[in-house]
Amino acid sequence: MPTAVSSTELVPERRQRRHPVSNAVRAVADVGYVLRFRAGTVRHRGLSVLGGLLLLGVTAAIAIVPAYVEGAGGPAEAFDVLVVLPTALAGFVVLAIVSAAASGGGRELIPRDPMSIHPISPTTDHLGALLLAPLNIAWLIQAWALMGATAFAVGSSYVYQAQVVVLLWLVAGTAFAQVLAWTLEGVRRVPHGIVGVRMLNVVVFGVALGLQLTDQMISVFDSLPTRWFVLGMIADDGGRWLASVGVVLAGALVLAVLGAVPAHIAAHRVPRDELRVESGQYASRPSPRSDLAAMVRTDRGSVWRAVPMRRGVAVLAIGPGVVAVLGNLQWSSMTILPGLVASGGALLYGVNAWCLDSRGTLWRESLPVLPRTVFDARALVLAEFLLVASLLTVAVAAIRAGVPSLPEVTALISTLLVVTVQVVGASMRWSFKRPYAVDLRSSRATPAPPSMMVAYSARLALSTTVTGLFFSALSQADDWSLSLLIAVAMLSWSGIRLIRVRRLWDDPAERARVVTTVAVA
Amino acid sequence: MNDRPPIVDVRGLHVRFGEVEAVAGVDLVAYAGQSSALLGRNGAGKSTTMRVLAGVVPATAGTVVVAGHDVRHEPLMAKRAVGYCPDVGGLVPRATPWEHLQLTARLRRLRDWEDRARDLLERFELGDVAHRVTAGFSHGMGRRLSVVLAALHEPDVLLLDEPFDGVDPIGVEATLEVVSDARARGACVLVSTHLRELAVEACTTVSVLRGGSRVATMASTEMLGEEGARAYRGLLD
Repeated sequence: MPTAVSSTELVPERRQRRHPVSNAVRAVADVGYVLRFRAGTVRHRGLSVLGGLLLLGVTAAIAIVPAYVEGAGGPAEAFDVLVVLPTALAGFVVLAIVSAAASGGGRELIPRDPMSIHPISPTTDHLGALLLAPLNIAWLIQAWALMGATAFAVGSSYVYQAQVVVLLWLVAGTAFAQVLAWTLEGVRRVPHGIVGVRMLNVVVFGVALGLQLTDQMISVFDSLPTRWFVLGMIADDGGRWLASVGVVLAGALVLAVLGAVPAHIAAHRVPRDELRVESGQYASRPSPRSDLAAMVRTDRGSVWRAVPMRRGVAVLAIGPGVVAVLGNLQWSSMTILPGLVASGGALLYGVNAWCLDSRGTLWRESLPVLPRTVFDARALVLAEFLLVASLLTVAVAAIRAGVPSLPEVTALISTLLVVTVQVVGASMRWSFKRPYAVDLRSSRATPAPPSMMVAYSARLALSTTVTGLFFSALSQADDWSLSLLIAVAMLSWSGIRLIRVRRLWDDPAERARVVTTVAVA
Repeated sequence: MNDRPPIVDVRGLHVRFGEVEAVAGVDLVAYAGQSSALLGRNGAGKSTTMRVLAGVVPATAGTVVVAGHDVRHEPLMAKRAVGYCPDVGGLVPRATPWEHLQLTARLRRLRDWEDRARDLLERFELGDVAHRVTAGFSHGMGRRLSVVLAALHEPDVLLLDEPFDGVDPIGVEATLEVVSDARARGACVLVSTHLRELAVEACTTVSVLRGGSRVATMASTEMLGEEGARAYRGLLD
């Protein structure tokens, strides 16, 4: 047994210290290995490949087709779009920052516990999070909006050269967001860091609100350096275009590398949020009065004590509301918000709702309680979670919206109820059909694999946006009861679908399939 | 031969998960006041058998009667009679031990359960962490709490799946005490474990499973010492 450090052991250690480049190369290679491992665990590979190709096809179509429609690149509407492109570029970065910061540095390429046994460096983790960032519907929609707007604004003559800049901007913006997210995560992990980050959020919101209230927001947007890149997109001079491409490319590379530094710092600090939840004392409360109340209480604890859910719901509840306030959103358009928030809320855990109990599922299933009571409790807690977030968003958005008309109020209430039941129904259906063993301890955890998260979020976003737009149109009608009547019909349809899943949950064999799958987390 | 009716009566149990047959025709009887061990290699079907008895996994074929209740037709009655410590985890990660106890007490309609709960937590040295969420627990702490949860309501049938796994000597002693108390009050105890010596210490009879079937049942004394180890080894291959 060696009693001192061997000279032969020192050599590689010194080499490691001397060659950070070789460590970086190794970290990049590890991303490849982990990606291959993840790809190997995909259940329906053919379907996933098809989905990926579809996503690429849609992206290509959005990036090119608008350049060939009538008026594209012209002096009228297209020019108006061109004028707001610098703001859109900056807006994309802001959203990427919020998304990465809320998830504690971005999504995990491989969950924390299985990863802990492998010598995977924080650099690999950082690069993995960077790669997974686009597999998020908010990121995709922003990116598509940016690409589509660019194509329409610049027209067919410049579309290809402009989209090169936009693509690189997406990479650079995401990498920048990652750097900030890791830095914030590092700060959160020092004593009083959580309070510091919260204060920073308040300050940022206050500044934005101040700019809006004093009508200085537009001048701030006008002075953004992003204009330089937009001018580069439409430059006839090849050199100017090349300069834009070069700057964004260099920025993307530097930021991607730079992100490894705060990632390492954060990785070496204790995650205080999670530690606080796991080591804190929770006072006992009186016994619940019914089986349903007992199950609801347990489920509520599982939701509200989970770091990813608390962070996620805070961002979802406040973020869209703040944007609505800054954008002076009117009551008639506010029907879009509940669907957006409910979809985001479901993606925090609802799409794999049975994973809440994780390894405790087997024990819970052995308790003498009707399966329907268990199902009802899970659905109720999810509905409550989504409604709380949606109501908070609407409350924030209402600050500057003035007094609504009666049709606007009924349309909004109808939307809140309909999208909640729609999203709960879809979530419980997917949770039953495709359960995953997931441990939601980490703030970076997601309830399903990345590809499934994209599929779920796309479907949720589509259905809830259509519902929101529909009720937005109804809010303009003279008859306030129209919204309520249509809401009753839609609620009945969604309710029937939810009851159908509840019946399926009664089957012990199907329940055992779900229970034994999620229990191995 | 026992004249009393068995508390656990398993006949021709088959459990299939898709193409995999986890249990392939297990017959098992266990009586009140008796503790039986299920021994066998990984994948022998021990945990799946326990899950069926606990009403967590349904049998594909065969009959399973627990405390006079057919698990297939009277699942709630069977669950009320059973206390189950699962092999994996067994704890809701963001609930405290006290909240786990409160939930089981409520669903089993227990009255004045608090003193017994506190006593069990103290015996398993979990009193200090009664109000902390279980996500931060060590593996051994989790196992100990799972035994407490299974034993709280003094069930007719106590099912302990790998209760000694990663548990310190004090936890092992407390678990053996729970098994002994259960037997003394006339409960039937089934313990699934890989640890032959502890199985012998905790149980009166031992059943060995192999490849999803029961290959032998004997008095636990026959599994004692070197000779017992050889006999066990012979049954595994």
